[in-house]
Amino acid sequence: MIEHVENPVLELHNLTVTYDNKPAVWNLDYTLPAGKLIGVIGPNGSGKTTMMKAIMGLIKPSSGYIKLFGRDLADVRDKVAYVPQRGSVDWDFPVNVYDTVTMGRFNRKNLFKRINNKDKEIISDAIKKVQLEAFAKRQISQLSGGQQQRVFIARALAQEADLYLLDEPFAGVDAATENAIISLLKEMKQQGKTIVVVHHDLQTASKYFDWLVLINTRLIASGKTEEVFQKEILEKTYGGRLQILTQVAELLKQQGYPVREKKRPKG
Amino acid sequence: MDLFTDFFLLKDPNVKWVVIAVVLMSSSSAVIGCFTFLRKRALVGDAISHAILPGICLSFLITESKNPFYLLVGAFISGWIGLYLIDYITRNTKIKTDAALGLILSVFYGIGILLLTSIQNSGNAAQSGLDKYLFGNAASMMPSDIKIFGVFSLVLLLLIFLFYDSFKLITFDRNYAAAKGFPVKRLEFLISILTVFAIAVGIQAVGVVLMAALLITPAAAARYWTNDLKIMLILSAAFATVAGISGTFVSYTFPKMPTGPWIVMVLSLLAIFSILLGKRKGILAKWQKSRRVETKMLHENILKCMYHLGEVNSNFLELWSFAEMKDKRSLSSKQLNEGLKKLEKNGLVSIRGKAARFTEKGLEEGRRVTKIHRLWEIYLTKHMQLPADHVHDDAEAIEHLITPEIEKELEHQLEYPLIDPHDSPIPYNNKE
Repeated sequence: MIEHVENPVLELHNLTVTYDNKPAVWNLDYTLPAGKLIGVIGPNGSGKTTMMKAIMGLIKPSSGYIKLFGRDLADVRDKVAYVPQRGSVDWDFPVNVYDTVTMGRFNRKNLFKRINNKDKEIISDAIKKVQLEAFAKRQISQLSGGQQQRVFIARALAQEADLYLLDEPFAGVDAATENAIISLLKEMKQQGKTIVVVHHDLQTASKYFDWLVLINTRLIASGKTEEVFQKEILEKTYGGRLQILTQVAELLKQQGYPVREKKRPKG
Repeated sequence: MDLFTDFFLLKDPNVKWVVIAVVLMSSSSAVIGCFTFLRKRALVGDAISHAILPGICLSFLITESKNPFYLLVGAFISGWIGLYLIDYITRNTKIKTDAALGLILSVFYGIGILLLTSIQNSGNAAQSGLDKYLFGNAASMMPSDIKIFGVFSLVLLLLIFLFYDSFKLITFDRNYAAAKGFPVKRLEFLISILTVFAIAVGIQAVGVVLMAALLITPAAAARYWTNDLKIMLILSAAFATVAGISGTFVSYTFPKMPTGPWIVMVLSLLAIFSILLGKRKGILAKWQKSRRVETKMLHENILKCMYHLGEVNSNFLELWSFAEMKDKRSLSSKQLNEGLKKLEKNGLVSIRGKAARFTEKGLEEGRRVTKIHRLWEIYLTKHMQLPADHVHDDAEAIEHLITPEIEKELEHQLEYPLIDPHDSPIPYNNKE
């Protein structure tokens, strides 16, 4: 069940990403609508994070392409904000909450630009939105998991983007933080932002998201929640990997065949 | 003594410039070293400094001069090759980083020593003094050396200042920086260049063998004092400055003494001092914290004990003898004496000879601790499926830790229960 949309915010075209020649995601092909809260669902190791990294240009795809707002990432960088997994950094780094959120305002085009008053306003505003005003001066290792997650979200908010990609923002956070984050995301959606969230909890998936993308190395479904949140689709997603597909992936790794043949000019 | 005043008043213009150069060299290494340290590449610094030796020897062999500029270029090139090989080996072979580091360090250093020995035995008169690159000798720097090294160090510091935000960003969260479109690879390349340069310059003072200490020790020491990167850089530079000046002083006083080991000695002392006394995770700070916890637990236990005694006849303001208290709760006489004295000072109890009674404030506190203990017992039986006779010990520990916010939340979630799992009443403040 794959529902395509007109003028997609995000389009993946036959996207394959390999590690060590073994596909982590294989031929993902879908489009996502604007102004929706979208969940990316799949079991552990199904390639969700890999897909996010490929979208943000952190890993080069083996084949296929990605379009954001109908363009290449390089043309629309400033309209996209990324929230990496909380565990991807060492939190024992000598910065406080405010400094970390400030990083959201750093300018890639002018590395020497200093933070001005307008930036400061945006930073304070972002901290307020995630309810961390009282912790602004606290060193980031002295925060709870939920608070650290909110720091990361505030940093992305400070970018004032149109499309937000969040990788597992609910992993290891308390229920209160989860609720606070989800209502913040809903509020952002009201303002016309598009939010894509990697999530692994089926219990809450149908409650949180308007649109679901289900993957397990390959794409299982993409569409409105009420249409794709069905027993067979979920079973397909969580029912383990396809045996033949897994075997072929192993072969690719062991024998070093390319996942796609190089195109030769015809004639 | 004269030597001391002469040195520190910078009377000798020669000394003045040596000191300035050493301060610049040490502090620039220490500042870029903070990034090396935070990027967890401390050992890479060590490998690079050893990898620099063959470059120095080769550039001497080729140019047959000790012009610091040529030596610096040679040092930089061979340091860079070492760094590149470490990355290449880790990326393209099955050898892991630690082994790659060991490999590059020993192979390059071995080649360097080989070259150095053959130069020394070649009978070339110009070679004398080349061995100072092993352990460094700042005091013997020529004015021309000083100029070059000083300028390089200044440029280094200036570049770090200019790229501070970007360096901070990629050191903390490389992926995020890349996703934001920062030229991460180029910035990392720049950090690497600056690091190799700092090392190539710094070996003049410290020598290749101990250079890693100048790079990493100040940063490690500074980290014990602050949670602010800016302050960490400044502190690190300050530590290196102190060490640099002391080392130079020693080699000024005893010209035969190499500077490097002295700089590293002073740095190590500063590091040990920081590990012991650092306000962030220093040993003293940890000890003080555990003392504070112990005292708080003792105080609260005494107050709770007095409250329990009062509960028997509902007479909370009665005078309790020390013996009665010790009967109720196992406390040593020393603990009881010291604890009560401190409690009296804080206005929680009043002592009459060998007995004590609550003040209003103390009673309040005793009631609060008792309440938390009992609330926690209920919480455990309710949410951890523990039988009533298993919850007491846990509550004994947790009661000291519950914050007012959690206390309120407990009351709220448990809906203000009246009795605990052992049927003791939950004492609420009358105002509640």
